[in-house]
Amino acid sequence: MSEKKTFRITRFDPDQDEAPRTQTYEIPVDPDWKVLDALNFIKDEIDGSLSHRWSCRMAVCGSCGMMVDGKPTLTCKKPLSEYGSEISVEPLANFPIVRDLVVELDGFMEKFESVKPWIIRAKERAVEEGTHRQSPAELEEFKQFSMCINCMLCYSACPVVANEPEFLGPAAIALGHRYNMDSRDEGAHERNEVFRGEGTVFSCSYANECSEVCPKHVDPAAAVNQAKINAVLDWATGFVVTRGKE
Amino acid sequence: MKHLLLRLEPVIWLLFGLGIMVGTMLMTAWIAVVGLGAPMGLIPADALAFERAHALGSTLIGRVVLAALIALPLWKGAHHTRHISIDMGNADRDGLVAPLLYLIAIAGSVLGIAAVVRL
Amino acid sequence: MARAAHPDAMKPKTPGRTRTAPPMAPGEFPFAGRYRAYTLFDWTGIIYLLLGFVALRVVWALGDGESAWLAVQGQLENPLYLAFHLLSLVSVIFVGVRFFRLFPKAQPARIGPLKPPPQLVIHVALYAAWIGVAGGLALVLAGGIF
Repeated sequence: MSEKKTFRITRFDPDQDEAPRTQTYEIPVDPDWKVLDALNFIKDEIDGSLSHRWSCRMAVCGSCGMMVDGKPTLTCKKPLSEYGSEISVEPLANFPIVRDLVVELDGFMEKFESVKPWIIRAKERAVEEGTHRQSPAELEEFKQFSMCINCMLCYSACPVVANEPEFLGPAAIALGHRYNMDSRDEGAHERNEVFRGEGTVFSCSYANECSEVCPKHVDPAAAVNQAKINAVLDWATGFVVTRGKE
Repeated sequence: MKHLLLRLEPVIWLLFGLGIMVGTMLMTAWIAVVGLGAPMGLIPADALAFERAHALGSTLIGRVVLAALIALPLWKGAHHTRHISIDMGNADRDGLVAPLLYLIAIAGSVLGIAAVVRL
Repeated sequence: MARAAHPDAMKPKTPGRTRTAPPMAPGEFPFAGRYRAYTLFDWTGIIYLLLGFVALRVVWALGDGESAWLAVQGQLENPLYLAFHLLSLVSVIFVGVRFFRLFPKAQPARIGPLKPPPQLVIHVALYAAWIGVAGGLALVLAGGIF
């Protein structure tokens, strides 16, 4: 480990700091390291007070999202070799900061739950009827949108999330759309009412940044804009179809 | 006002969608010929002579196209100008900005229809 | 240097147990990186508003009679109008290309029994429609047909 890199990391202790500040660490790095490895080295060897979230180290849990050189990044996935000798690491943009690189996630959880991310049936299938049947073609209609790992890089990239607090956001809408497109689901109307509510999908303004940063190629921009069409159709058919309360 | 905007959102979005798609297609031709070609002398002088222009514009399809040319870009314009305001940090004033912009689009659309009716 | 996001961005309805620092917007927003194209895309809204009202002015003059029509044609020769229309032409092409890039993937996989055509087909159809509609209208306006 002969190469050194300098990390400018956001620090914030709510008990001591008025506002976030930057602390600099120069450390030796291994050429095979990801950004997360460097952060763990700093925490383990230099400054145990550094707080950051991480878990799987293999880009499936979504815990380690941060702003690296100003871009939303999954730090376990991004090689250090792609960066220069000085790297900035900040907490995810658009989220309140709890401490250092840790952000408040409850706001996301509220939006997430509001889109009812579960199979909704008008009447539950009786056990005797067996399992739902779904063809590969039906699965393909929503499978891409089920790959989200809730890393929230998309929320950090989205200019609408930055400016409109009520906006549901890319991941929540993509997940709601995933269920709307699931052949087993019968709750599209309920979700479309949420999509036309305060968190309205129509706030999306085609930045496409969410899809640019998504590490799992979910393409939330596609989901959000497909959801707009479905929401309009649901609204329009509401004038001719009487829907009972589900 | 916010509640009213949310209820009208599907209509606004449809008009915006038509504006960005059909409006862009129509405007490409309009700008190229009326905005640039004719003033720069690149098209035959009699192409937009009054008699011809009026005759074409007075047909049913002519009136529809001209009305679309006026109205549809206004809805794309109003919707995106609203986004500019929000992007600049004025989301809390959206209850004032959005109705103002959409009223401008409505006014322009109504005037556009009036303009083609009186041809 | 990143600017502040809306102070309530991603704020939970129930506050957490500790004080949080306010959210910051992405550093490159709105005028750097890919956000530049996005911001320009939104700013074309102003151009579209102006285009609609200029078109209104022209069509209104057509209804006012020949002298008004000739007068507005003369005004369109003003360098400021020419510059505006040149900028507008670049803007509408930029808007069209950016929007048509999004449009195919914005189609739901199924609406009732209907499925959309492959994305490539939608792409080609959009550009064909653009060329057809704009080309056709341009030919009519320029005296090529009718």
